[in-house]
Amino acid sequence: MSIEFNKVSYIYSEKTPFEYAALHDIDLLIKEKKMTAIIGATGSGKSTLVQHLNALLLPSGGKLKVLDFEIVAKEKATNLKALRSHVGLVFQFPEYQLFEETIMKDLCFGPKNFGASDEEAQKKAIHALKLVGLDESYLEKSPLDLSGGQKRRVAIAGILAMEPDILVLDEPTAGLDPQGAVQMMSLFKELNQKYAKTVLVVTHDMEHVLNYCDEVVVMKKGTIYAHTTVKEFFKDTSYLDELHILPPAIVRVRQMLNERGFHLPSDCYDMKQLCSAIAKEVKHHG
Amino acid sequence: MKQIEVKNLDFSYDENTHAVKNVSFSIEKGSYTTIIGHNGSGKSTIAKLLIGLLEKNSGEIFVDGLPLTIENLQEIRNKVGIVFQNPDNQFIGSTVRDDIAFGLENHCVEPEKMDEIIMEFAEKVNMVEFLDSEPTKLSGGQKQRVAIAGVLAMAPEIMIFDESTSMLDPQGKNEINEVIRELHTKTKMTLVSITHDIEEVTKSDYVIVMNNGEIVMAGKPEQVMTKEKELFKSNLDLPFSLKMIKELEKNKLKLSHSVTLEGLVDELCQLNSTK
Repeated sequence: MSIEFNKVSYIYSEKTPFEYAALHDIDLLIKEKKMTAIIGATGSGKSTLVQHLNALLLPSGGKLKVLDFEIVAKEKATNLKALRSHVGLVFQFPEYQLFEETIMKDLCFGPKNFGASDEEAQKKAIHALKLVGLDESYLEKSPLDLSGGQKRRVAIAGILAMEPDILVLDEPTAGLDPQGAVQMMSLFKELNQKYAKTVLVVTHDMEHVLNYCDEVVVMKKGTIYAHTTVKEFFKDTSYLDELHILPPAIVRVRQMLNERGFHLPSDCYDMKQLCSAIAKEVKHHG
Repeated sequence: MKQIEVKNLDFSYDENTHAVKNVSFSIEKGSYTTIIGHNGSGKSTIAKLLIGLLEKNSGEIFVDGLPLTIENLQEIRNKVGIVFQNPDNQFIGSTVRDDIAFGLENHCVEPEKMDEIIMEFAEKVNMVEFLDSEPTKLSGGQKQRVAIAGVLAMAPEIMIFDESTSMLDPQGKNEINEVIRELHTKTKMTLVSITHDIEEVTKSDYVIVMNNGEIVMAGKPEQVMTKEKELFKSNLDLPFSLKMIKELEKNKLKLSHSVTLEGLVDELCQLNSTK
């Protein structure tokens, strides 16, 4: 019941002069119930990759298995609607897609599309709104009257109302203030841990990768450049340099200190542990 | 010398959104000031008021001692350049060269001189090899560098960056921060950067913290960014170095409160060697 890419390639505007191959023979296995970060430079294929997960894009080559659904290139895909009810995809700046008069209507739109009755849809809407930290007093408000951060919560709640098993988020914290970003990432972690959802996050923020994710997929020029656990990934800073990735602050501090005479363990990502290790070394010299 | 002075500035978009409430501050000539605050705190509204894109309800704005009025608007806009958030929304030319030329043409710069000026500023932002490229083919960071060159070519005295890196990937972000740092150290230009990036704030000379349309704190980063409670109330956070110092102090280390990682690392290394 995981996500499996098997030699998947994708070509935009195939057989036209604008043909552009965005994914090349992707083999990738995303484990269920994990929180996975997808990172890589602009144009490396991250968004193209995730849009395959709910069949917004269909592979030009290879095949793809998402939960029980199989999508094979050049074969007519069936049951896409059912697949889409299981995979919730949140685009960049999702707040631009709010459109109904009230938040209640906006949140009910998805569930109703997938066949829920009015009553069921409303129940799901209320639950989803609570999940993103807003109370029922918002239901009859217009989504356009909210602040930017609140709008984004409502947009995400609209996806959660469909109760997907897999949640895919394309740069969910871009443009949010620091606290807003932390709240958002904590919400996804909670959905992952408490509700056992498989979560994929496209992000540029290495602090978020380190603090919230289990695994990391690095994309480069339409291929999978690396796929490893987060702990393994941040161990070797020379590898990160090669990828032009600025490591999270805690890794940078450890690296700077070790370059100047400290001997701090390279698998320590916990602030408390690192600080006590630093204090020990300093006192030991005293 | 004060380059920008704002007194009792007030602005609302409509009766429900009082975006800027009786705000006063000043910005020194040649300084690097950051304005930080949560989404919707009024930061960008202030930037738009400063260049007269929005009209204030009340209060006064002075640029180089000149009051911002309809009569002075053009003169003030010549002094203030601004780079916005979205790189895709600020392209006009069909090539990088045309785009940098656009502002110059508006200022009636002689065509013979234009090439030289374009070259000078394309060099400054490291985009010479892309002068004949189409803007749509550039990355976000490259686009923002072109936007900066276009503004710099107009020789402003003040540059405002309105979350200019927030839509860029880390590499693009670094490129732009590099350009800003260079402008800060090499030219005497006054810089104002509106940002969410707490680590950027620690590198500025002066920081203004906004919350719900009001200034809640202002001062040097080492004074302002150490106030945990106030920062939290404004939906912000401590710089990483201070979070770490708090933890180190629990381990009975005595440290000064450096707001930069580099400062903290220097201090720890000293402790480690002298003891």
